[in-house]
Amino acid sequence: MAAASKPSRLSYRLSRARVSYVDVIAVAFAALLTLAILVPFINVIAVSFASQTAYYNNRFMLFPPEFTLSNYKELFKDNRILTGYRTSGTLALLGVPLNMFLTVSLAYGTSRPAYPGKKLIMFIVLFTMFFSGGIIPLYLLIKGMRLTDTLASVILCTGLGTFNMILVRNYFYALPDSLMESAKLDGAGEWRILLRIALPLSLPILATVSLFYLVDRWNEWYLAMIFIRSTKKTTLQLVLRSIMLVNQMTNAIQSATAIDQLQRFDIGVRMGAIVVTILPVMCVFPFLQKHFAKGVMVGAIKT
Amino acid sequence: MTGSRRSPRGGLARLSRDIWKSRVIYMLVLPGLLWYALFVYAPMGGLTLAFKAYRANKGIMGSPWVGLANFQNVFRDPTFPKVIARTLWINLGRLCFEFPMPVLLALMLNEIRMPRCKKVMQTVMTFPNFLSWVVVSSVLTALLSMQGPLNSVIERLGGKAVPFLGNAKIFLPMLYVSSNWKSMGWSSIIYLAAIAGVDQEQYEAAEIDGASRMQRITRITLPNILPTVSVMLILAMGGIMSGGFDQIFNLSNAATKDVSEVLDIYIYRITFQSPPDFGFSMAISLFRSAVNLALLLIADRGAKMMGGSGLIG
Repeated sequence: MAAASKPSRLSYRLSRARVSYVDVIAVAFAALLTLAILVPFINVIAVSFASQTAYYNNRFMLFPPEFTLSNYKELFKDNRILTGYRTSGTLALLGVPLNMFLTVSLAYGTSRPAYPGKKLIMFIVLFTMFFSGGIIPLYLLIKGMRLTDTLASVILCTGLGTFNMILVRNYFYALPDSLMESAKLDGAGEWRILLRIALPLSLPILATVSLFYLVDRWNEWYLAMIFIRSTKKTTLQLVLRSIMLVNQMTNAIQSATAIDQLQRFDIGVRMGAIVVTILPVMCVFPFLQKHFAKGVMVGAIKT
Repeated sequence: MTGSRRSPRGGLARLSRDIWKSRVIYMLVLPGLLWYALFVYAPMGGLTLAFKAYRANKGIMGSPWVGLANFQNVFRDPTFPKVIARTLWINLGRLCFEFPMPVLLALMLNEIRMPRCKKVMQTVMTFPNFLSWVVVSSVLTALLSMQGPLNSVIERLGGKAVPFLGNAKIFLPMLYVSSNWKSMGWSSIIYLAAIAGVDQEQYEAAEIDGASRMQRITRITLPNILPTVSVMLILAMGGIMSGGFDQIFNLSNAATKDVSEVLDIYIYRITFQSPPDFGFSMAISLFRSAVNLALLLIADRGAKMMGGSGLIG
């Protein structure tokens, strides 16, 4: 967010030395929110590497007193997490290229100067942001196409994100006209302009949007929950959901019947499940964050 | 360019020439438009089910028309008005307690004069937005459970453990808090971008005139980002009948189900958990979409009437 910090540096050039109550409130507010987000995640990670006794000694731990992998060993005993990784990974691997193909081609097409039908096409696209048929007809459509219980159902239904398409379109739109015009005068067709000029100049937005899509595919659970029944094709998010819910239930049963908890530290296993679910997002996030240009969002809200 | 002298015939010829000239563009938009046709507009056609009695063996097209019978059933359903009231109440709360927070955060972040520190904080703040509600609710459930870390601190300080997520009375505040926790940082980026676009001379002039920092925030920054706020508010109005499905589906439990069943959850429950009556569900869905669209348009008109910038046109 280097771009956003510029104006404040400029505007307070004169009063840089003075620290007023505004500074204190602003920093305190932002720091509080930061800690409120950071601490729970650190706690989750710490507990996932801790033993049960350590946890009950200090549940608010930010660092495990002794480091153990037993929770993760327990977690990977059944294949559920691996199944989840395979499914969500497949969704991302097949879904993101489709997303990018549909997004870039439509975005480029709608960013070009006026041609017959352009307004209609934009209306068709934008209307879907405000009105939809809902999940039931989509479900019936997928059923009619005999795609229930396949990953294809989820991949196809999430083929294009209107918001992301508009981000890319606005970026193309803002590219200097003179470049495209001179290419046209030199006899370049639309394909050449797209491949040789528009795409190479748009790498930041293409990277941002493909990471948006990547995270979306990784976070998929709702459509998968409705379309996919077999446990072999459960997405990672739904695996996590079932681990959280099932373990809650076994906890209740165990405490009700006063069976001692054997070797297993349920909360630790659950925290491990959270960690392995968010790990890929944590790896991708720094790259995603790098590309938040100020223009990326601002053009998007008014089209 | 020479439109005044052009005959209708010539117009047609020119149109077909223009279309031919743009053939590559049509080829490019075709896959995307096909996708919209198949996966967005074809299902929209399924909204006709709201006026039909769905028969699985006959499909959407073949099922018999029943007029407004589904709607009559919806409005006779005793749960329906309760669900509507609950949805409106929750979303009204969202407008009061969720909508202003990113604006406030953006104003605060803009006042922080330590760029490094600010960047780190912003990185942390935007992170939860990229997690699903499944993950966020898992983290929050772990943090807030009766034997969880937060309650252990409360107990150590001499307080009594609070059932944060298992108490119907505080469920709505928990919704607002958790929503803000997840997306406040991300949503503030839009406003920060708007602030970055404010003309710097205004600040310099104010500084010379001796305006205090608070005055500069309320008299310059805030009025300058109001158009953005207005657009976001219009968009929020378009979601007044829906929203929060992922969050409520994952955060609610047996203890809070009486206060948490909003329209989207209700539609899900009657469609996928009990023996489904698709006509009935679709009537409710259509009602929801129509109200959302109507409110969006009304808010848009209203914003324009008050001299603000609208969303459409």
